[in-house]
Amino acid sequence: MTGSPSGLRRTAAIIGVGHTDWRGDWARTRTGEAVTDSAGYAVRSFRNALADAGIFRDTIDGLIVGPTTAYERVGELLGIEPRWGGQADAANAVIQAAMAIECGLAETIALVYGNDQRSRGTQYGGPQAMGAENYLSYVYHAPWGLTSQGAIYALMFRAYQAERGITDAELGEVAVAQRRWAQLNPAAIMQKPLTVEGYLDSPFICEPLRLPDYCMVNDGGVALIVTSADRAKALVERPVFIEAVARQDVNLRASSLEPRVTEFYLPAQQRAAARLFDSAGIGPEDVDLVQIYDSFSVHVPLALEGYGYCAVGDAGKFLREAGIGPGGALPVNSSGGHLSESYMQGWNHQIESVRQLRGECGARQIPRCRYVHYSSDIAGKAISILYGR
Amino acid sequence: METGGAPACPSPVMGVYDRPFWDSIQARRCALQRCGQCGTFRYPPGPVCGSCLSLDSEWTPISGCGEIVSWVRFHKQYLPAFPIPYEVIAVRLAENPVMISTLAAPPSDGRWIGRAVTLTYHRRDDGLVLPCFTLAESGRPEGHPDAPLA
Repeated sequence: MTGSPSGLRRTAAIIGVGHTDWRGDWARTRTGEAVTDSAGYAVRSFRNALADAGIFRDTIDGLIVGPTTAYERVGELLGIEPRWGGQADAANAVIQAAMAIECGLAETIALVYGNDQRSRGTQYGGPQAMGAENYLSYVYHAPWGLTSQGAIYALMFRAYQAERGITDAELGEVAVAQRRWAQLNPAAIMQKPLTVEGYLDSPFICEPLRLPDYCMVNDGGVALIVTSADRAKALVERPVFIEAVARQDVNLRASSLEPRVTEFYLPAQQRAAARLFDSAGIGPEDVDLVQIYDSFSVHVPLALEGYGYCAVGDAGKFLREAGIGPGGALPVNSSGGHLSESYMQGWNHQIESVRQLRGECGARQIPRCRYVHYSSDIAGKAISILYGR
Repeated sequence: METGGAPACPSPVMGVYDRPFWDSIQARRCALQRCGQCGTFRYPPGPVCGSCLSLDSEWTPISGCGEIVSWVRFHKQYLPAFPIPYEVIAVRLAENPVMISTLAAPPSDGRWIGRAVTLTYHRRDDGLVLPCFTLAESGRPEGHPDAPLA
């Protein structure tokens, strides 16, 4: 039913991570300065990841770039002539790298992402809603005024709220908890204190969602170096292993948004969860940190229920009583995530996972962190990666 | 509006399979593709039945009955054509597909999920007719069916 366990169990590991100066570039781009372009952010983060891994560039024989930069141009700028390459979003980049390594197509792969979305004035709503070229739903419903990605999540959350009873204040716990994590993270952009009262007083953007439910839009880059498990053990002191991966897509009736507004992706997440945990031989109770793709806060309660961190229908209570912030029962998005650290389209979640497992997160370090689960449920794809040390 | 006239509204997606749908809307007899083999209604229009892969389909008028499954209210304005605040609804049609649309004369109480709705039509300033819905209990929309949406 769930398929045979993934063959990617601990066959590849991350040996280097890097990112750009999100806070500094946020301040500079907000004054109108063009710090660099998307490829420039990718290059800067690659340099940092290479230094973090302590390897030379000529060790790299594979390259994956994010969706926001051209593959050939980034390869040219980095001076890398790989024997295998590709272009993918964060979760698929990690999975494809592990697959390529397992198949022997490459041994040490650079995963590089850069995005100048803030300085370029990218909009995820309105006349140039990004993603429209790939997803019919983003343009199809525009004549009726459904003109933003946030509105799609607002539609999803309103129906979810009606069915499961989560309150506005309980959803607010997501933004509040992530802001508290961000305050422990010197790299996070959003540091101002946020309370549930402050959340409820914040303006609606697309009701029922308020401003703190939306990710920020900022410039930056992220890079990771992935290699075979054996090589990782030889190269670095604390490799972080890809323990297991799982994915379940929902394509039927996607353009009418039906799977979002009637199922909230729950069946897809449950199938992916069964595969992930079967493959790793652990359960949700063994996970120390959950990293959830959070373009909108809504992703968090859906994933908590979908992956079995709480019972279906209990996410609101879980957020309020158990807690996902510092000191809470289940740490979620310990860097502040897209809502408060940096909107790097899932890439910053990967490097935070690595740093927590290495134990180098200072004030926000999760004690005895053994397993980190990354979940992404964007555009009908429930994708999970389990990291371990 | 100023001398420039009404702000441009987003145009419908008009691929190979969309024309008959919009023609049926302009005629105020909304039709959807229905699979010639398994009878599944399809929306948005397309070349094949996602349920049985049949290429056969027939444009079939729909009942116009449905139920609201979700709704949102925009407070941020993205396009001049849509002054805020305004609402967008998701309707489960009696024929099964979900249709994103709007409510003509939306009531203010906000408890819309599960409410029965009936298909009607709204003529935009640029002449395009759009399908929209009224709450079934409230009967026909107030005034002329072409009255602008609230």
